[in-house]
Amino acid sequence: MTAPFSIETTQLKKSFGSFEAVRGLDLRVTKGEIFSLLGPNGAGKSTSISMICGLLQPTAGQVSVCGIDLSRDPQAAKATLGVVPQDIALYPDLSARENLLFWGRMYGLSGKLLRQRVDETLEMIGLGDRQNGRVGSFSGGMKRRVNIGVALLHRPQVVIMDEPTVGIDPQSRRHILDNVKELNRQGMTVLYTTHYMEEAQELSDHIAIMDHGEIIASGTHNELLRLVGEHTRVDLTVTSDPAELAAAWQNLEGVAQVIPNHQVVRLMVTDSNLVLPRVFESAAALGARVQAVDIQEANLESVFLHLTGRALRDSQG
Amino acid sequence: MAQVLAVAYKDFLRSSRSMFSLGMMLVAPLLITGLIALAFGGLASGSGDMAALRVLVLNADQPAEGQMEIGAMVLPFLQDEKMPTWLQAESVTDEAAARQMLDQGQAGALVLIPADFSENIAVGKATQITILQDPTLTIGPAVLEDLLRIFSGGIAGAQVGLTVISDQLSNAGAQVDGNIIQTAAMGYSQWFTALQQNLNHGAEPQLQIVSPLGVEKDNSANTFQQIIAQTMAGMLIFFTFFTGASSAQLLLKEQEEGTLARLFTTPKGRDAILAGKLLSGLLTVLAQSAVLMISSSLLFGVNWGSPASVLLAVLATALAATGFGLLVLSGVRSMRQAGPVIGGVLSATGMMGGLMTTTVPMPDFFNQLNLLVPQGWALRAWKLTLQGASVTDVLLPALVLALIGAACFAAGSIIFRKRFA
Repeated sequence: MTAPFSIETTQLKKSFGSFEAVRGLDLRVTKGEIFSLLGPNGAGKSTSISMICGLLQPTAGQVSVCGIDLSRDPQAAKATLGVVPQDIALYPDLSARENLLFWGRMYGLSGKLLRQRVDETLEMIGLGDRQNGRVGSFSGGMKRRVNIGVALLHRPQVVIMDEPTVGIDPQSRRHILDNVKELNRQGMTVLYTTHYMEEAQELSDHIAIMDHGEIIASGTHNELLRLVGEHTRVDLTVTSDPAELAAAWQNLEGVAQVIPNHQVVRLMVTDSNLVLPRVFESAAALGARVQAVDIQEANLESVFLHLTGRALRDSQG
Repeated sequence: MAQVLAVAYKDFLRSSRSMFSLGMMLVAPLLITGLIALAFGGLASGSGDMAALRVLVLNADQPAEGQMEIGAMVLPFLQDEKMPTWLQAESVTDEAAARQMLDQGQAGALVLIPADFSENIAVGKATQITILQDPTLTIGPAVLEDLLRIFSGGIAGAQVGLTVISDQLSNAGAQVDGNIIQTAAMGYSQWFTALQQNLNHGAEPQLQIVSPLGVEKDNSANTFQQIIAQTMAGMLIFFTFFTGASSAQLLLKEQEEGTLARLFTTPKGRDAILAGKLLSGLLTVLAQSAVLMISSSLLFGVNWGSPASVLLAVLATALAATGFGLLVLSGVRSMRQAGPVIGGVLSATGMMGGLMTTTVPMPDFFNQLNLLVPQGWALRAWKLTLQGASVTDVLLPALVLALIGAACFAAGSIIFRKRFA
């Protein structure tokens, strides 16, 4: 079966009582791409993922996986998916190998093929030498790796990863991100949810930003940056009245936006090299001192800020 | 089917690795039965038989010249070769020394026959035999008391007989002299002794106690083993129901561990997962029953009955325990709730089913009340197998158990499916 999209949702909705967690999600994940769903906690990412992998019944709308309607043939649709849940979903009293063997059987593998896939997966997640250790005795990072390995045993066409790097050390995170790239290189489509914009930025061919149960922007990394005009954010910590300085800096050439906030004045500029000397001159003329400068090139954080007026990291949805 | 087996095997593996589960499945029932066995002193001999009871008999009886020496008949009665081997009676003459031996635990019981014993019996006056016993012993002295009651029953019978003979001779105008009485008493005594010897133990016993199932009860020295066997049956049922509930509890554990949600993302549906859980519960209960039966046979000498009847009882109990466990757990929301609910419900229904009173005679209405819960039916099935009943005899309670198990499983499954929809 050839379908243009590995995952396609149409007006997908989920309500819990009067609360609408997902409001008409239209998602199209093209075959072979890494698609990131970026958004703050509570944006509706995990609820969407749960509906796509058949765990939650949608209130309305449709889900199609590799061209198979999930509601009509859930067994066939689920067989094409590998799901990495946000929380570790393993048996702590079984070893890594026993966990993989069990989950492999649940995806229909058996005999020599099962053992071969388990060996390959253990090697891929770098736990071949710890395969007989109980998962309950593993570090958070090791558990995460087994958690991912389970989803890959049956060589799914689509891997859905729901925030797989939450709460782990940088080394394990690096390992996981490299694995995701490798899987994609092997031809797997990856739907990846995260609230870490760096991950979305590094991994994704396509990014959808989600907030309050809706997609508020979607496109490639560069397409999204263009939404904020590719402005650089400059935060200046000042000693004197920020409102007075903001008024003065508003008129400087190259400054697109000024946002005073307590002792910090945020400038959105086209070129920080050009603007900053003028800013310092102006501050000196007004008798103010600039204590600190933080320059941030345009990124997904600024896109989210631009679209919602809130910071991605601090937002609770 | 492969997925059902995978779930069952995984759950079985997890149960076998939980020290708590193993403790509740295997150690607790054997430990409780073992403690009961220790309390009755049965393990002291290193086997399931009764521990030896040393009985000191102090015969102070001093019959008048020409009177029957009834007190002297007590020791030979207790030393009869047909008496239980664990009953070891011997004669003593010094009461103070005998009491000291009893106090020091060198003897289990002291039988005191008073000086006027024969004389009082001869004139129809009340008399008594005193039994002093080690207060830590229960069954042995109780059996001794029963035996002496049989003896005194014989004496009382002789008294009645002699009184009747004497009255009828008087009424007929005959002169009743000591020789006639003596002859009659001797005749009765010989008859009574022969009756005692042949009553239960002869090649052709004069009295047989037959159960409704046609199973001959061994009424010699197996009181201890019957108590242990019935206690063990009660414990086996109680703890297999606990295991059934614990297997169902794994569903809640999986829910909290997040693995249940992950299982639902696999191609096989919820039915395969529930079927796997049922199979795992059955396997675990069957393994537990096998281990408990073999262990109790080796440790306490319990004879569980014919293999076919036992198999039927085990299968039916396993099905009922697993189904009942699933139904009980279907109303529980979290692992935190599960512990008190399992403990409370299984203890209450276990008591109602008579599992804690297997060896205590209970009123009829309580025996009917037992059958309101599956444990009561299980106990009925197991008591039958312990009595050596055939498959046909065990079929009814087994069938009822299987139906209860299936109904409970169906209801529990529906509730769980709704919960996880």
